[in-house]
Amino acid sequence: MKYADLAVPSRALHLWRYTPWARIHPSSVESVPDATPVRFSLIEGGAALVDGAPRIVDGDDIARVFLSELGSSATTVQTDGSTGVVHLQAVASGHVAVGHLHLEFNHDTAVVLHLSGEADWTGLHVTGAVAPNTRGAFGLINELSSNGKLLHCEDWAVERDAFLELAGLSIGGFRCKSDIRTRFHNTGGRLNQAISVHGAGQRHVDHHVEIHHDVAHTDSSLHVHAACDDQSHAIATGLLSIAENANHCDAGQVFKNLLLSEKARAEAIPELEVLADEVAAAHGAASAPVDPNQLHYLMSRGLDEESAVALLIEGFMQDGFSTLENEALVDEMRTRLTVHLECELKR
Amino acid sequence: MTMSEEILRVENLHVSVDGTPILNGMDLLVNRGEIHVIMGRNGAGKSTLASVIMGHPAYEITQGNIHYMGTNLEEMDVFERARAGMFLSFQYPAVIPGVKVGTFLKKSVQAVREEEVKGREFRKEVNEAMASLEMQKSVLNRYVNDGFSGGEKKRLEILQMLLLKPHLALLDETDSGLDIDALRIVSKGINTVAPNAGCLIITHYQRLLDHVKPHFVHVMIDGAIVQSGGPELALKLESEGYEWLDAPKEA
Repeated sequence: MKYADLAVPSRALHLWRYTPWARIHPSSVESVPDATPVRFSLIEGGAALVDGAPRIVDGDDIARVFLSELGSSATTVQTDGSTGVVHLQAVASGHVAVGHLHLEFNHDTAVVLHLSGEADWTGLHVTGAVAPNTRGAFGLINELSSNGKLLHCEDWAVERDAFLELAGLSIGGFRCKSDIRTRFHNTGGRLNQAISVHGAGQRHVDHHVEIHHDVAHTDSSLHVHAACDDQSHAIATGLLSIAENANHCDAGQVFKNLLLSEKARAEAIPELEVLADEVAAAHGAASAPVDPNQLHYLMSRGLDEESAVALLIEGFMQDGFSTLENEALVDEMRTRLTVHLECELKR
Repeated sequence: MTMSEEILRVENLHVSVDGTPILNGMDLLVNRGEIHVIMGRNGAGKSTLASVIMGHPAYEITQGNIHYMGTNLEEMDVFERARAGMFLSFQYPAVIPGVKVGTFLKKSVQAVREEEVKGREFRKEVNEAMASLEMQKSVLNRYVNDGFSGGEKKRLEILQMLLLKPHLALLDETDSGLDIDALRIVSKGINTVAPNAGCLIITHYQRLLDHVKPHFVHVMIDGAIVQSGGPELALKLESEGYEWLDAPKEA
């Protein structure tokens, strides 16, 4: 399917309700502008970057088709298993920047991608697969400049007895739309996914997460934590799909929002499509301001209100990563989060 | 004879929550080195007294005042009270997911001492305090009170008290839910701080007083102290209950 053949998606669709296509498109919706390739580089770790990647485009999904038509270049990460964690940098520059990164997890490895740059609009498509009986972990730290837009898609395939951990830390960009999809291709697969969002100013951050249990005996866990201050707006929509006959799956989704100002907004919309009978599927969502008892407790230990709230924000966002098992990935996400909040909250 | 150093003076204190009176003319004087125990039935206002002294925003002082080391507390924010040397061991300490105990302790000690604490010296200090309370070092990497048992929470409260070295220690049912060994350990922590502080202990049970020897025992009924005495008063309450203190009912 060509982008020109696709209709602009309706806001009635779950996926496009809060961030319509026209608001995340870099220009007018009928155009496909020229784009500068995102520059990927290896910061450290046992891996090689090679040109080219398999094209994985989901039939008629407008974001993926659009990203595909914007840029033809792609980069594949080949890890060698010599280090536990691989750090990559992606730099977006120019008016419109686009990049496609592909990861094949054939060794137990964590890959952390630091996305930064001054591009007005960045498109990023990450695709990957975790080989049978392998533990792969991927973390994306969005550190784009504060006035940039981001359209970000991920597509993951989890093979037999493979374990994938996905972490997202969203602290950059002005308007961000992420669509992250994972599909279990065989039995015994596991997914642990955690996303932490810090909303400040007028940031608009929209995460759509789909997890497809197409086969039996697969487990998934999703935790999304968004701390929203000022006039920011965080959205998290989750689609948890368990196919007919995909019995004995265990899946859970938790969405938590911390509202730090009266004008901050947060939406948390988990959605279940369960067609199998013998499964465990649960979801929960909660939005609340700072807990006055927690605040009082910290202040009774000498922290002034600003410091106490800052510590609660940090704790809330750090807690989003608590379910992840890969220590190197968790350490990296948490360290970057702490640095960000120290600057942002001026402690 | 030396003059006693006044730590806490509560005068004719009336306190309400959402318009409901809880404390109705409370008077109390605590000097440095003194251990005061407050006992009373559930709902008598004991925890309210501790909370209002510490400055919990839910409570409104409608009459009377509280002086801490000569300063009227009314204008002091909660964190200022902590920095001035006041400490409340909470009956139900808050759970704070995502904040590690080690981080929390360091930030708290830095805030109260109003100076940067040096890493190695602070670790040594924490290790010694934890050892005295027979606490595992792994607690430092856990989130504050998250998944803690009742006993673990109370030990963490006492650990904070040891590190913050308060002038006034308010202990709100710190002995509740503790087994015999934990009670002994927590009492040891209280006895470490007590000689250099004014101590106000709220409890329902005499058994804590087997380990911590009070100078004064007070009984609260309906938001005011109705009886004061020495340790023997706690023993009498243990054996006879509170009924003998109730005002006779009209026929």
